[in-house]
This record gives sequence, structure tokens and C-alpha cells, in this order.
Amino acid sequence: MTLSGQIQNVLRVSKREVKMLLVRPVYIFSTIFVMFFSIFFFLTLFDTGSPEKMPIAVVDMDCSSISRRVVHELNATQSVDVVAVTHTFEEARVLMQQGRVYAFVVIPERFYADLASFKRPEVVFYMNNVYTLGSNTASKQLLTVMTLASGAFQREVLRKKGLPDYLIMKRLQPVAIDGHFVGNPSSNYLVYLVGILLPGILGLIVLMITIYSIGSELKWKTSRDWLHAAQGSITRAMIGKLLPHVVFYCVFGVMINIILVRYMHFPVNGSFVWLNVGMMAYVLAMQSMAVIIVGLIPILRDALSVGALYGMLSFSLSGFTFPKMGMLTVLQSLTNIFPLRHYYLVYVNEVLFGNPVSQSLPSIAILLSFVGLQMLVVRRLHSAMIYQYFPKD
Amino acid sequence: MDVQRLIDSFLTRLHDTWRVYVHELRRVFRDSGVMLIFFVAGLAYPILYNIIYIKNIVRDVEVAVVDMSASQSSREFVFRFDATPEVCVSHTCATMDEAKALLKSQKVHGILYIPADYETVLVTGLETAHISLYCDMSSFLYMKNVYTAANMVMLDYMNRIQVDRYEAVNIGEEMSWALVQAVPFEAVALFNPSGGYGSFLVPAILVLIVFQTLFFGINMLHGTAREENTEVYILPGRKRRASVFRLLVGRGAAYFVLYMAIGAFGMILVPVIFDLPHLALVGDMLRFMVPFLLASVYFSIFLASFQRERETGMVTMLFSSLIFFFVSGFSWPWESMNPYWKAFGYILPSTWGMHGYLHMQSMGATLATTAREYNMLWLLALIYFLACVLLYGYKAWHYDAAARREQVKREQMLRQRWEEGRKRIEERHEKGRLFIEQHLPDKRL
Repeated sequence: MTLSGQIQNVLRVSKREVKMLLVRPVYIFSTIFVMFFSIFFFLTLFDTGSPEKMPIAVVDMDCSSISRRVVHELNATQSVDVVAVTHTFEEARVLMQQGRVYAFVVIPERFYADLASFKRPEVVFYMNNVYTLGSNTASKQLLTVMTLASGAFQREVLRKKGLPDYLIMKRLQPVAIDGHFVGNPSSNYLVYLVGILLPGILGLIVLMITIYSIGSELKWKTSRDWLHAAQGSITRAMIGKLLPHVVFYCVFGVMINIILVRYMHFPVNGSFVWLNVGMMAYVLAMQSMAVIIVGLIPILRDALSVGALYGMLSFSLSGFTFPKMGMLTVLQSLTNIFPLRHYYLVYVNEVLFGNPVSQSLPSIAILLSFVGLQMLVVRRLHSAMIYQYFPKD
Repeated sequence: MDVQRLIDSFLTRLHDTWRVYVHELRRVFRDSGVMLIFFVAGLAYPILYNIIYIKNIVRDVEVAVVDMSASQSSREFVFRFDATPEVCVSHTCATMDEAKALLKSQKVHGILYIPADYETVLVTGLETAHISLYCDMSSFLYMKNVYTAANMVMLDYMNRIQVDRYEAVNIGEEMSWALVQAVPFEAVALFNPSGGYGSFLVPAILVLIVFQTLFFGINMLHGTAREENTEVYILPGRKRRASVFRLLVGRGAAYFVLYMAIGAFGMILVPVIFDLPHLALVGDMLRFMVPFLLASVYFSIFLASFQRERETGMVTMLFSSLIFFFVSGFSWPWESMNPYWKAFGYILPSTWGMHGYLHMQSMGATLATTAREYNMLWLLALIYFLACVLLYGYKAWHYDAAARREQVKREQMLRQRWEEGRKRIEERHEKGRLFIEQHLPDKRL
């Protein structure tokens, strides 16, 4: 067959596929609706960018003017909000166990008297690490307030000794740390999470839809007709079928990045073009993983179950929340079979660090090598398409 | 007489419910796909997630140090920094460029830069000495570790410098401390004291696994019934529609009984095996699971009613696991959430299940303390049950005798369409078969 004939043939298979895609509502729902819903969800959920006004409690055993001032000072900060003032530890503990407060401060008895007589009364914070983000925010703010309170006390004493203010301030803080957050200067929670979560969801869609579209041909026994449309060539059948999907998902992937960068103002320190090249390679890799799964298990339902397991695991094992170095050694090498891991490396390189593209190329090359892997299962898939000998369900 | 009829009618209803219950259980155990979701995923996922996060804590994050001051105080700072459990100093660089290259290739995840004038500034004591810290932002935990370690060392170090200075001007040690740190403070993590990521995330995931496997399993059962054209809305083996309550109670009971076992494995036994926090009394936990599972069962039955095909539930709804997780207000606090999403989270059984479970298992709350979550789950169970009753009632009405004539007509039309469709598919089969015989004669069918 001539080259143009082959191309025409592939396009005929694609046309057949597009017709099928448009007829079934499941395709439209689980691609367009799911993707737009997820984008909308994740971009509006973290509205504030960083947590604010975390509820805390104060156990005021002292009931003095100074302990009431502590409550006022805490309320005036941006990160915490004193929602309850109790007089016993028990009450505050129950509030925490009910999830109403993330932390509480115990101001001991005789706090004012001890402070005035330089006896160093101790203040204890109790925080709830079950809700990490809330308790971290609250305890960071509490620490700042208490440090400032100590500083204020010291300043008062030094002032009384007659030291000028400008000297006092230097004395109060002999050492300071300047934090620089490389690539994400405002330490925005969205940049950590959404830049990978949304491609992750796109990956789930690619995986499940590809498995579904190939598997349902086998399930409804239309696979011979599919092969017929490709005039018997499995290569043309596969390319023709996957082509519309690839185009569609690549557009989606680039759209996600454009939304994140243009409208959410994510920092891009490297090349936006190469980020999108990585995205397309990721889509291709995810798709060939789908082909591999459905090729190994040409039963729609089982292939989907395995795909779901694999897809959900990729969120944990790509190491964008819990880093790879914290996992067991076996799992560390296992992370490599998840395309999301490699996309994450490209993302880190292009968005956060802005390294030369040579640093991203290995990850992109690995992603592209996934595409070659599907050759291994094509023969098995071919005979499944011809003989249709796998159970329907 | 009347009493006799009442008893009879009651017994019939009970018997019908029992038959629905047995029929549903039989369907579960005959369907390998559902068995895979309920028993393999429901039991293996909890173990799998525990294994992924088994190390729990990230320790010794590699950090590079650029010490331009090379003085005694800077060395001491670096030494203390290295000694923290959070980080380890893996590289010592001569220039900032060198360190930055290491950071950018992710060989280290942070840089501590001490400027050349560090000790001079400290000794003269007229200015603040600045130390710069560069954090790798590719993972939240790297940043947290590096930042926490540096801050802890800095605070401790700062206090000692101040005390030394006061002591140098003949203020006694005790008085110096009283000046420098008038109010000493201590932070105590009351729950999840190790602050580990695994012991933070996995308990919530366990609840979500129970919820989601139940959801997908029920979806698949319902889709299969619709696909095979077995009647979903009438009693098994009967022609006419019958009470919606018998159907829903019988079906719900089947899933509920199965999931009391599977859920108890994931939510009670697994935490014990893997040494996750398990502070709740087993009796309390089982009592809490009752409304949680009931709410989840009727939530799933309600949504599954919109399912027409066996597999589509998994294709369309897989992403919901992530949505349900984030909307629950567990990782991202409720207080900073958009009110609409907060309301959305409120109507999901998984939200209250996760919070109640965490309060009891990880935070040792009693069932009485968890009343809010417990009552909300009962409320949701009731709401979703009523929603199912309305939906089933509406659907069953379609099968009712009054609407039968119309129904017959519609069924005829549908059957005709179905026949046409089948003919088309058969034509395709035939075309495919002929084609294979002609072109690939060696592949015999």
C-alpha cells in the first residue's frame, strides 16, 4: 500500500473512532466535564492561598489583665482566631478532640505575679498534629507572638535601664534568618499541589478512557469491524484509534498549563514550551500504559480495575507530596513506572528551578520510551481482536 | 381478624425483604468484578497505603552549607544545624554558585549561607547578623524540614548569645534568662506526636478506601443489572412492582453486613497491625461505623441509579476520590475553604466519616464527644434513604399497571431499536468474519 493510502486508511479508522466518541455520553462526561470540574474545583478550593484565622483556644488559669492581653494580641493576628477561653485543661482538650480548635495555649496560675518577679512562668502550647496544616499555621503564629511578648518584656526592662531604642532592637535579635523559597517565592500552596494534581487527573482520564475505548470494542465484539476498517493492519488500527484521543488530550494538557501560568500566575523560571513538550510526552506515556494494561488483560472490567489501581497509586508514588527519599527502597525504584513521576521532574525543572532544558530531557526521553513499550503487547491484543476469546465480563 | 391480617402482611414484607437481601448477596458473590472491588481492593488498598508511607517521617534532608565567615560561631551554628534530626549537611561548598548548582540538580534540598561578616557583627553586637536560607520548593516536606531545623537552631542560639552578653555585663545567669526569655514556652503535640506524614495521611485514606470501594462496587452491581435488563426496581422473581421499602432495606442490609466486616478490617484491624493511632474503643468504633456505612450505602445506591452500564461508573467517577479527599477539610482546613465547597463537603458521608474516625482513633475522643459527626451521619443516612425512596418510587411508578399501556408501546419501540442495533452489530461481526477469512486465511476462526 502506498504511503498516502496508508494515511487515508488511518484517517478512516480515526473517523470511525470520532463517531463513536461523539455518540456515547460517557466519553463527553468523563473527559470534558471531569476536566473542567477539576480545574474549577482546585482553583477555587484553595481560595486564600495560605490558611488564615485558624481557631485556637486559650486556657486562662491566671485570669489577670496580662493574660487577657495575650488573648487580645492573639486575636489581632492574621493566622489565628481565639474561639474559646476556658479555665481548665480538660475543656480545651475536649474542644480539640471535637475538631473545633487546632491548638490551645495554657497560661498557668500566678502567671502575672511570676512574670513580675522574674520567675519565668512557663507557657505550653498543645497542638493537634492530626490536622497538620491547621496546627502548623497556628503554632507558628503562637511561637511568633510569644517570642514578641518576651521581646517586649525585655525591651521594657532595658528601656527602664535607659538604653536607646535603636540599640535595644539590635540587642533583641542578634541573629536573623532570611528565607528564600527557590522558584516559589510566596510559598504558595497551589504551586505545590495543583501544578501536579491537575495533570494527574488528566492522566487518570487518559488511562481510563483509552482502556475503555479499546476494551469496549472487545466487550461488544466490534473489534473485527475495527480491524476491517484498518484493512487488517494492527498498526494502522491502533494509530487511527488513538490519534483523536492524543490530539484531544494534548490540547487539554497545554490548556491546563496555560490556565495555571496565564491566569493563576504560576512562576515559570524555565521554558514554558518545554514544559508543554513534557506534558505531551506524559499524555503519550499514560496512553501507552493504558494500551499495555488492556493488552495484558483484554477484559474490559478487569483492565479498568487494574487501571484504577495504577492510576490512583501514581498520586502517592510520584513523590510530589511525600518525597521519594522517604519511601522504602523497593518503592523508590517502583516510582519510575509512573509517568506522573517523570512529568513531576520536568515540572520541577521548568517551573521551579529554570534549569537548562538538558536537565529535563532525560525525563522526557523516559516518558517517550513508554510509547515503545506498547509494542510488547500488540500481538496479544491483535489476536484478542481477531478471536475475541476473552470472557465478556 | 384484622390483627391476623396485619401480622400476615408484616410477615410477607419481612419475607420479601429477606429474599431481596439474599438475592443481593448472591449477586455480589457471583460477580467477580464486584468481588474484586469489595474484597481485593477493599482489603489490599489499606495494606498498600500503609506500606507506601511506612517510614512515616522524612529525616536527614540533604543540605549544602556555604560558610563564608569560617569562624568559630559559624562553625558552631553549622554543627548544631547538622545535629538536628530534620536535616544533614551533605555538602560544604566554597561558593554560592557551587551550592546553587547542587540545589538545582536536586542533590541537596536546601542551602545555608553564612556571610563573611557574620562573626564581626555578632561580636560588635550593634547589628543583626543575617543568615540566608534557600529552600527547595519541589516538595512541601523538604521546605518544612529545612526551615524548621534552621529556625530551631537560630532561636536557641540567639537566646544563648543574649544571655552571654548580659552575663558579660555582670547580670547573673538566672536574671539574664529572665530577661531574654521572660516566658519560656514549650510546644507539645498532643495527638500524632511524631508529626509523621504517614500517621497523618493514612488514617484518613483508610476511611476513604472503605467509602470508595463501596461506592464503585454498588455502581458496578447496578450497572450490570441495567445492562442485563434484569429489573432493578421490582422484587426478584415478581412481575409487578412492589414496595420500594422492601427493596431498599433488603439491598442496603446486604451491603451493610458485608461492609461491617470489610470496614472493621480497614478501620479497626489495620491500624492495630501497622501501629497507626488506634485510641478508640472497639465498641465505640463499631457503633460509629453503623451510621457511616448506612449513609455511604444509600449515597451510593442513589448515585448508582443514574448508571446504565457496568463499567462506566469507574470511568466517570474515578477522579471523585481526589475531590472527596480535598473537600473533606482534612488536609486543607475548613476555615480557609470557599463556603460553597464547604457546603458540598457537608453533604458527603466521607467527610463526616473521616473527621469522626480521626477524632476517635487518632485523638482518643469518645463517641459522646464525637456526637456532631455521629449525628450528622445519621442525618445523611436518613436523607439519602429518603432520596432513594423517592427515586425508586418514581422509577417503580413507571412499571405500574396504570402506566402499563404506554410502557408496552415504549418497550416495543425500544425493542425494535435494540433489534436494529443488534442487527447492525451482527452485520459488523459478519463483515469482520468474512474479511478475516478472505485476507487472513491462516488465522482460522
